[in-house]
Amino acid sequence: MATTALTPTSEGYRRSWVIEWLTTVDHKKIGILYIVNSFAFFFAAGILALLVRSELAVPGLQFLDERTYNQAFTMHGTIMIFLFVVPVLSGFANYIVPLQLGAPDMAFPRINALSFWFLPLGGLLIFSGYLFGGAAAEGWTLYTPLSGGAYSTGVGTDLWLIGLLLVGTASILGSVNFIATIFKMRAPGMTLFRMPILVWTVLVTATLILLATPVLAAGMIALFIDRNYGGSFFDPNTGGNPILWQHLFWFFGHPEVYIVILPAMGVVSEILPVFTRRPLFGYRAFVFATIAIGLLSFSVWAHHMFTTGQVFLPFFSFMTALIAIPTGVKMFNWLATLWRGSIVFATPMLFALGFLSMFLIGGISGVMLSAPPVDFHLQDTYFVVAHLHYVFFGGSVFGVFAATYYWFPKMTGRRLNEPLGKVHFWMHFIGFNVAFFPQHILGIQGMPRRVADYSPDAGWTLLNLVSTAGAFLIAASVIPFLVNVVATFINGERVGDDPWEGNTLEWATSSPPPPYNFDKLPPIRSERPVFDLRHKHDAEHAGVEPSGPEGGHA
Amino acid sequence: MLALVLLATACGMIPPEPHTKEAKEVFWLYNVVLVMGAIVFVGVEGFIVYSVIRYRRRDDRLPTQVHGNNLVEMIWTAIPTVIVLILFVLSTLTLNSISQAATHPGVTIEVEGKQWSWVFHYLDEDGDPSNDVIVQGTALDGANMALPVGEPVKLILISHDVIHSFYVPAFLVKRDVVPLPEGKAPNELEFTVSEPGTYSGQCAEFCGDLHARMTFTVQAMSRADFDKWIAAIRAGETPAPSVPAGGGVVKVSAKNTAFDTKALEAAAGQPFKIEFTNDDSFDHNVGIWKGSEEVFRGEIFSGPATKTYDVSGLEAGEYTFVCDVHPAMNGTLTVK
Repeated sequence: MATTALTPTSEGYRRSWVIEWLTTVDHKKIGILYIVNSFAFFFAAGILALLVRSELAVPGLQFLDERTYNQAFTMHGTIMIFLFVVPVLSGFANYIVPLQLGAPDMAFPRINALSFWFLPLGGLLIFSGYLFGGAAAEGWTLYTPLSGGAYSTGVGTDLWLIGLLLVGTASILGSVNFIATIFKMRAPGMTLFRMPILVWTVLVTATLILLATPVLAAGMIALFIDRNYGGSFFDPNTGGNPILWQHLFWFFGHPEVYIVILPAMGVVSEILPVFTRRPLFGYRAFVFATIAIGLLSFSVWAHHMFTTGQVFLPFFSFMTALIAIPTGVKMFNWLATLWRGSIVFATPMLFALGFLSMFLIGGISGVMLSAPPVDFHLQDTYFVVAHLHYVFFGGSVFGVFAATYYWFPKMTGRRLNEPLGKVHFWMHFIGFNVAFFPQHILGIQGMPRRVADYSPDAGWTLLNLVSTAGAFLIAASVIPFLVNVVATFINGERVGDDPWEGNTLEWATSSPPPPYNFDKLPPIRSERPVFDLRHKHDAEHAGVEPSGPEGGHA
Repeated sequence: MLALVLLATACGMIPPEPHTKEAKEVFWLYNVVLVMGAIVFVGVEGFIVYSVIRYRRRDDRLPTQVHGNNLVEMIWTAIPTVIVLILFVLSTLTLNSISQAATHPGVTIEVEGKQWSWVFHYLDEDGDPSNDVIVQGTALDGANMALPVGEPVKLILISHDVIHSFYVPAFLVKRDVVPLPEGKAPNELEFTVSEPGTYSGQCAEFCGDLHARMTFTVQAMSRADFDKWIAAIRAGETPAPSVPAGGGVVKVSAKNTAFDTKALEAAAGQPFKIEFTNDDSFDHNVGIWKGSEEVFRGEIFSGPATKTYDVSGLEAGEYTFVCDVHPAMNGTLTVK
């Protein structure tokens, strides 16, 4: 309510929309910039994926030579992870978190703009290797000594390091901003245990970024020095140890997995209650499970290194298995939220249900890999490729699309066309499984990852062909999505401020929200203030208690 | 149709038949883990499908607002805890069992991984390096490792360039081949092959341009056959006789995965030399093909370097010269 006074006059400055968007410090505009920028990189990296899959469709080299192929899968992985999945979720968090907290903006609006603008710059630097003799071609993990100066002579690897340092800096700045916003900008009544689950997952994610990314940054600077100035960090010929790079990379890299999955879990935890009309079952358990995953994620990194022969296997195997427990708790809480709900199958809900069933597969294959003897067979095969795509794509990317369909009306005032959205979902869902499920089998049968070619006698041809067909179906599913976004943006159905009957504060303001977000706030007595407002009369007459963990009963 | 796909999938989820003593244990562990995973998958996925069908919205009533239940939370914290503890105990027992080092391995081989081939150096105890058996592969022809069946085999895994990984799918195991700083012991891998046969293997850690071509085979045989194999290599294996040059020297070079010319000429019926310069940092060679038959194959090597091949006389006609590593690199050799 007090926030109205903060709204400055909009008559004072009249700027062209280009200048407006380039110089904005409004968290909502920055959020949209993040999302649009991320989707642009998503399409670029998707084209690289199609190149990779086309080459693998049948044995023999048809389209690419080895070097080009290696660049394609390296850039595909790098761009998808660092310039799509992480930033697109940051974009949604940027837009939604201040709204869900009842805040007028992020704590540091200018830092927010800075951390966004590093992203396109860093991404273009990484891509610019293609203009200077070839992009990095050592896999997104950039293992030494292959990525050292002696074996990767091109400047592409240096550009990769510099670009990624910028992206990492952006993440660190962004996470400081989120932490400050969440602790200092909450509206009156918004206690920590009334915060929406998305905010909790963003808080834990930001903490992980803050602790993990500097370690990778240090490693990348050391590698840059190794490559260009004769450092001896990772070069065994001068007393360095190449395994050190793997420790540094994965000390960042494993928390990174949770950096991309936790916000997607948060998105799903926002969507399930709305489309089942039930509160999230076990709010507090869910919060503690999120924190537990965050803590455990720092003690499992070396499970990526079981076959190096240089790590203490039982410890990392045990910690990896433990992380299945809080993840399992989350899964059970989601299931209990569905149970006896009143479920509608709007597109955001379809993608959220897709998340549950696909992430489940990624979780199970992850637990299988935690057993070192099993990992000795499956490590670095297509089984791992399938596993990571079920987590990143089946998990995070389904979450991203769920978020897109769910919050598009909030950002534009218009709802994406539902039939077209369902076509998109089913093409995406079927294409994803056709593309990636067969890769489990290829890996179990022994096909290593990152190979440009395979023998026609190996028996891998049919499944590779199927996988490639699935990849093209995923690519085709982008068409209904893009048509939907453009058509809706121009001439979509206007659906008012709260089309889904949402629970959280972003639905208590107009769509799109005004600058500084709220003219007035409803009272915040639970984690579902808008639900409480809508059912105020039910509560008086039908015995519905204010929602929230304290008010609950079994 | 669907049943067929499901059946094929179930079969595909089972690893290749294991062919070492250790692999049989891993095979058992894997199948236990797979069954546990399958039960969890069917249970949870079934619950999701059941719920979304059973509880789809039928009217506008608000369902009961249940916020949680501590007892239920405790129960479903305990369930995954028990599952993962069982898994951890089983996997640790298997790990200890397959990691037992033999005191007297039947064969010890120093395995060197390098960009992009394998070298198998059979270590013997006579202290004389001149009679050592060394098998050298190329990116085109993987090296063959002969092994006796039923005896523990010890591999010492060394690299002087980048990280590779020694992987034989039928043995359900891989171990990284890591270039380590001086003073650090190299990785070792021990196993006992249980059935004779030829098993294919390849590098499993991405190692640069021709990673996919870094293949090898393991040929397991009886001890008697193995001893014969070793003796044959020690006795024979003379290098191919060099051919006197009579037909002159043909020059060709390769750069950026392309030859510098599309057409070469040579005199018919006379031996000649090919002076081949490879300016790329990875493998190329020159092979000469008549139709689908390769009549000459030059040694594959990575540059920058130059080698001279001796080619025996060819009949007059049109041939194709090709880099066997990169079939897209080719041209016409006219012999007249």
